[in-house]
Amino acid sequence: MLSRLVLVSASALKSSRPLGAGLVQASRSFNTSPQTLAPVPPLPEKGGKVRHGLIPEEFFQLLYPKTGVTGPYMLGTGLLLYLLSKEIYVINHETIAGACIGIVIVYGIKKFGPSVAAFADKLNEEKVAKAQEAKDLALNNLTQAIEDEKKEQWRAEGRQMLFDAKRNNVNMLLEINSRERHHMVTNEVKKRLDYQIDLQNLHRRMQQEHMVNWVEKSVIGSITPQQEKESIAKCISDLKKLAQARAAV
Amino acid sequence: MALSFFDQFMSPTYLGVPLVALALSLPWVLYPTPSSRWLNNRLLTLQGWFLNRFTQQLFLPLNVGGHKWAVLLASLMVFLITLNMLGLLPYTFTPTTQLSLNMGLAVPLWLATVAIGMRNQPTAALGHLLPEGTPTPLIPVLIIIETISLFIRPLALGVRLTANLTAGHLLIQLIATAAFVLAPMMPAVAISAAVVLFLLTLLEVAVAMIQAYVFVLLLSLYLQENV
Repeated sequence: MLSRLVLVSASALKSSRPLGAGLVQASRSFNTSPQTLAPVPPLPEKGGKVRHGLIPEEFFQLLYPKTGVTGPYMLGTGLLLYLLSKEIYVINHETIAGACIGIVIVYGIKKFGPSVAAFADKLNEEKVAKAQEAKDLALNNLTQAIEDEKKEQWRAEGRQMLFDAKRNNVNMLLEINSRERHHMVTNEVKKRLDYQIDLQNLHRRMQQEHMVNWVEKSVIGSITPQQEKESIAKCISDLKKLAQARAAV
Repeated sequence: MALSFFDQFMSPTYLGVPLVALALSLPWVLYPTPSSRWLNNRLLTLQGWFLNRFTQQLFLPLNVGGHKWAVLLASLMVFLITLNMLGLLPYTFTPTTQLSLNMGLAVPLWLATVAIGMRNQPTAALGHLLPEGTPTPLIPVLIIIETISLFIRPLALGVRLTANLTAGHLLIQLIATAAFVLAPMMPAVAISAAVVLFLLTLLEVAVAMIQAYVFVLLLSLYLQENV
């Protein structure tokens, strides 16, 4: 609600001629222009190139078209000589003291500069490496999870085959079982029937034996003693005849 | 000639405008503000690393109540080191050669530690006046001595820093003048004086850093006693 008020008053103030331009600045509407530059622009990775540690490379490039490579150095030398000869810069004891501290500073920078820079870079590298490691770990975990999932899906497909095999197995077992039972039934029935056959055989044999015995008994009983004597006499006469026949041969 | 040696210690003015405020505030320009970026340039990384390590080392023996002083002592250390090191350049003014500045830093900070000790734990603070295991007849004398030592602390802090830096700067000036004046007359002596000057410069670099560190370390020790 207040922003509408601001907009209305801003347009009203802009239209008022004498103070318009000056008040536009103060009554600019908020949060509409990209002045905050919310995605921060990236910094350059390395600092600007400098020559001799002090003078930017752009200065040499600036003078190169007109004065070539030695231009800036001639300028520097000329400047120095001008300052010295006109005694704008007076050489006194401070110069010697300054030269000493200058030697110490330059030596320090030349000796320890690269190692300190490498250390600073290493600090940043470690930061990046830690974050990268976390990212890589997460990435690896997720890829692993994807592969595991694919494997599980493959296994799920394979399960159908497993089910088929198991079903076949079960069917075979059932088949075997039923056939076994059939056999058992057949065997049992055969056993019963065999028993009956044996029983009948036994009966017939017994009847036969009984009849034979009865016939024998009746025959033996019908033989009178006279008949027995006659038969025995006949047998003896037969035997004698045979013996005579034999002796004659 | 002898008087001009002390010109370097005069508070700088230019056309009547005192520049000492600039001398005290401009060294801070050398340290970039920590940015909200995750990765910084080398200077900022090193600055952050150094401040972290220094504060961690300094406040290791202090209990948590003393950690309130972390910002003050760390910034004091950076301030003193910068002032001292910048003062080694030629034609510069070193504010820490002024007794007024050093006493102005030492007395309030020391008084703050004593006041904190007296307010929070008066018995323990007063107990520091008598070291353990003193034989009984020595107790009154020792209390007097310890009180004197207590009140001499701010004086010692301020004067130590002032004297070290002033003496160093004065020596540099003297030996440089000797080398400069002798150069046309006796070049060999001038060269040896220059060598001495070089070694002295190395010493002064060390002294500059050590004195700042000692100042802050002693303050942290006084804080440790009282917090």
